[in-house]
This record gives sequence, structure tokens and C-alpha cells, in this order.
Amino acid sequence: MAKKILIIEDEEVLISVLKKKLIREGYDISVAKNGVEGLAKMKKDRPDLILLDIIMPEKGGFEVMEEMVKDEELKDIPVIIISNSGQPVEIEKAKKLGADDWLIKTEFDPQEVLDKVIKQIGK
Amino acid sequence: MEKETPTKQPTLLLRIKEILKKREKDLVEMDRIAKMLVRRDLELSETREKREQELKELKESKKSLTQMLKEVREAQEKAEEEKNKTLAIIVNFTDGLLVLDENNKVLLINPQAEVLLNFKKEEIIGKSILAFSKLPQLKNLLDLYKKEIKKDFFREEIEIRESLILSMTKTPLKRGKIKIGNLLILNDITREKTIEKAKSEFVSLAAHQLRTPLSALKWILKTFLSDELGRMNKEQKEFLSDAYNSNERMIVLVNDLLNAARIEEGRFLYKLDLIDPGILIKSVIDSYRDLIREKNIKVEFKNLIKRPLKTLIDADKIKIAIDNILENAIKYSGPDGKIIISLKSDKKEIETSVEDNGLGIPEVQQKRVFSKFFRGANVLRKETDGTGLGLFIAKNIIEAHNGRIWFKSIEGKGTTFCFTLPIRKKA
Repeated sequence: MAKKILIIEDEEVLISVLKKKLIREGYDISVAKNGVEGLAKMKKDRPDLILLDIIMPEKGGFEVMEEMVKDEELKDIPVIIISNSGQPVEIEKAKKLGADDWLIKTEFDPQEVLDKVIKQIGK
Repeated sequence: MEKETPTKQPTLLLRIKEILKKREKDLVEMDRIAKMLVRRDLELSETREKREQELKELKESKKSLTQMLKEVREAQEKAEEEKNKTLAIIVNFTDGLLVLDENNKVLLINPQAEVLLNFKKEEIIGKSILAFSKLPQLKNLLDLYKKEIKKDFFREEIEIRESLILSMTKTPLKRGKIKIGNLLILNDITREKTIEKAKSEFVSLAAHQLRTPLSALKWILKTFLSDELGRMNKEQKEFLSDAYNSNERMIVLVNDLLNAARIEEGRFLYKLDLIDPGILIKSVIDSYRDLIREKNIKVEFKNLIKRPLKTLIDADKIKIAIDNILENAIKYSGPDGKIIISLKSDKKEIETSVEDNGLGIPEVQQKRVFSKFFRGANVLRKETDGTGLGLFIAKNIIEAHNGRIWFKSIEGKGTTFCFTLPIRKKA
């Protein structure tokens, strides 16, 4: 069975590029455009991995992770942060909240995102 | 005629003799008196002279005394004037001022300080300031006040209440070499802080807003270039490749702007780890492999430190500094250029130098090399790419590590940039 990835991101273009790339590699993709929708979808779909943006409307990435930590069923889902920023304090904060990896969008391309996904959950 | 008797003659003579004798005596007496008178007269004139002299001296003394009194009065007036002037300065000073003695007793508080600290003069004068430590508006200030001054003075920012941020300067008051108290200067910096915060929020927002479409473009172009959406012909690929490179330059520009803004806001945080700078240099050189090959430049790395030498640095930031210096050396080297990167150390510090034989910096512009948005005139004539922020950022990073940075350059011959990092094992 294909592994499920939930992309929580508000930028349409990034979603479509990423989605195309990951579907081509055989993953099952679902998308949420903000934190609130993301939390609802992860409860319903139980993804194998979450790609999570930090700055989003409704609920940002840090708040999503804060809620995930409190939820027994969600706290162990691996999370890769995809963010515009790479400030050490933010990376540190995300790690403390249980993020497994951190990607800066302007420094990585879709192939490198895929490499990180494979590193976390395999093909 | 009666004949004189002989007895009568001697009597007359005797009489004459007597008279003469008396006259003589009178003359002696007169002479004595005359002499005495002369002497008296002399004495009198001497006395008069003396009197006159004394009178003159008295007059002189009076004059001096008057002068002295005048001077004393003038000095008093001047002192009073100075005192009033000082008082006027203190009262009208735009900063808050507090003078405390050695036992922390408040000797003086000016109206601005009363307003800033929400205090009445009468409530605090003559009392120890430490007695007020429970008051919320004084808590932060007193925590700072209690700090020992190691240097001549220290300045720090304190938040008094939500809408009031002060910069407090504490400086010892001395009479000669003896410390007699402290002076506190309180400067309201709320407005500057508010502007700074707004600016920082704007830069972050702008950077975020700019980075999002830049990453979207990057990802799309990369997807095209990887042939995932079908094969393209050579011309199509070349155009897309140019678009990709332009976009990458834009990303660098936005990152530089963001870094420069963070440096100015003091938000360029440093995360220190024990790192061997040689490894960082190697990785930066590696990242320019393609460009070095493309421009046909020789790059030599001379590491004169035999054993790995680690020191406490923020690896990401030092990498940015090295990157900015090396990028300039590559960018401003002509074909067949040569760059020598050397690393050496003594007991105290590690010194890196990056030497090129490129365009060099015009002598008249050399003073401004590390200022923001600096571009060499000769560089501008050749190519326009570059933000002029690289060396400003590099300097700030090196100096934040307590290192030094400098350069030598001859226009048309080349440039050597050097920087040091102190060897530290513990923070």
C-alpha cells in the first residue's frame, strides 16, 4: 500500500509542484491549506509523514505541532518543516516540538524534498 | 666836671662784661633753640612724610580691598550663575537624571526622571533608592542599578512598563579619585524601539512575501529543467536555465537584505559550537567548484595549521562571511585568475586570508568598503550584479565573534582580505 503524505501549505504553486513530484514517486498525497484543516485531516487520514509550513493563515506550523505533541495518536507522526525561514531559534523550537527535519524553500528544490521524504519513510 | 672815679670804671666794664656774657649765653640758648627747632621741624616733616606714606598705603589697601570685595562678589555671582545654569540644564534636560550618593541615597532627581518613573521628588529625595525595589516601575531599573560597574559606565535597555522603554546609563561620580556616588541617565527610547520593531516586522514580512514566489519559481523551473515535464530542446533549456539563475540571484539578494536588517536590529543570533574553521573553508570552496571551473580560475587552499584546531564559532554565520569574501574574489577575478586562501594560527587566534589578482578596489573608495551597499566604481563599470551587502555582513559576523577583518588592495592588481577568529574553547 502506498505511503500517505499530508502536505500542510498555503502556497498553491508549491503544493502542485510537490504533489506532482510525490505522486510520480508513488506516494498517496492529501493537502491542507492551513493548520486547522491540517489537524482535521491528520486525525482522519493518519498520514505516514507530514510536510508542514510554518507561516500560514488560521493556524501556523508551530501551533499545529504544539497540538500534535498533546495528542497521543498524532505525536509520533514524522514531521518535515518546509519554511521560508531558517533562523536557528525557529529550527531549535521546531526540534523541541518534535520536528524531524527542516527545509528552507529557497534553498531546496523538489528533488531534495523527495530525498528527505525517502530518508524519513522510505519509498 | 665831675671826674670819674676810678672805682666807677671797673664797675661799668664789669657790667658790660656781664651783659656780653649774658648775650653770649642768650646766643647759645638761641642757637640751641634754633637747632632744636630745626630738629623738630625735620622730625615733623619726617612724621608728615610718614603719615603721607601711611595714608597712601591706606588708600592702596582700601583700593585692593575694594577690588578684592568686587572680585569676591563677581566670583559669587559667577558661581551662582554657574549653579543656576547647571540647575537649568538638569531641570530642562530631555533625559531623566538621578544623582545618588555612595549609600544609594537619592540626592537629586530632575522633572523628566519624575515623569518617567512616575515619582514625586518629595517621595524619594534623601531616601535610599533600594527601599523602593518592590514598586513595579522601579523593579527592572533597580535590578540593573545593583549591577557592579566594571567599565567607566554601562548602558542597557529596560522596560519600565508596556509602553515605556528606557535606556539607562549608570556612571560613577568621582571627586578626584574617590567615588562619591552614581549618576543615572534615563533616556526614553520607546519611539525608536517602536520604529525598529515596525521596521523589523516589515522586513520579515517583505522577505516572507518575496521568498514565497521566489521559491515557487525555483521549484517550477527546476521541475522543467529536470525534464520531468517532457524533454526540451537546447534553446528552451538555455532560456529556462537563465531564468533559474536570475531567480537564484534574487534569492541571494533577499537573503542579504534580510541578514543586513537582522544585524541592524541586533537579531542576528549566534549559536556557538566547537568547529574547525578549515572544514568550513573547504566546504565553501567546494560550493564554488562549478563557477571556478567555468571561469578557469586557480584556487589554492594553504592550510598551515597542522592539526585540526577547533574554536567556538557560529558555523552558519562564519560560512556566510567566508562565502561573501570568496565570492567577491571569484567574481572579480578575470579568466586565468589565481586565488590563494591561507589559514594559519598562533596561540590566541586563527587567521584566514583570501588573496586574488582581480580587479582590486580603487584607493579613494577603500575607506567605505565595509559600509552598507558599497560597490566599487570599477566593478560597477564591468558588471552590475551584487548587492553591496556582502562585506558589511561579513564584517559584522567576524566582529560579533570578537575577530578582526581588514584588507589590502591595489586597483588592477588584486585584493587580499584577512580576518581573525579568537581561539576559544569555552563560552
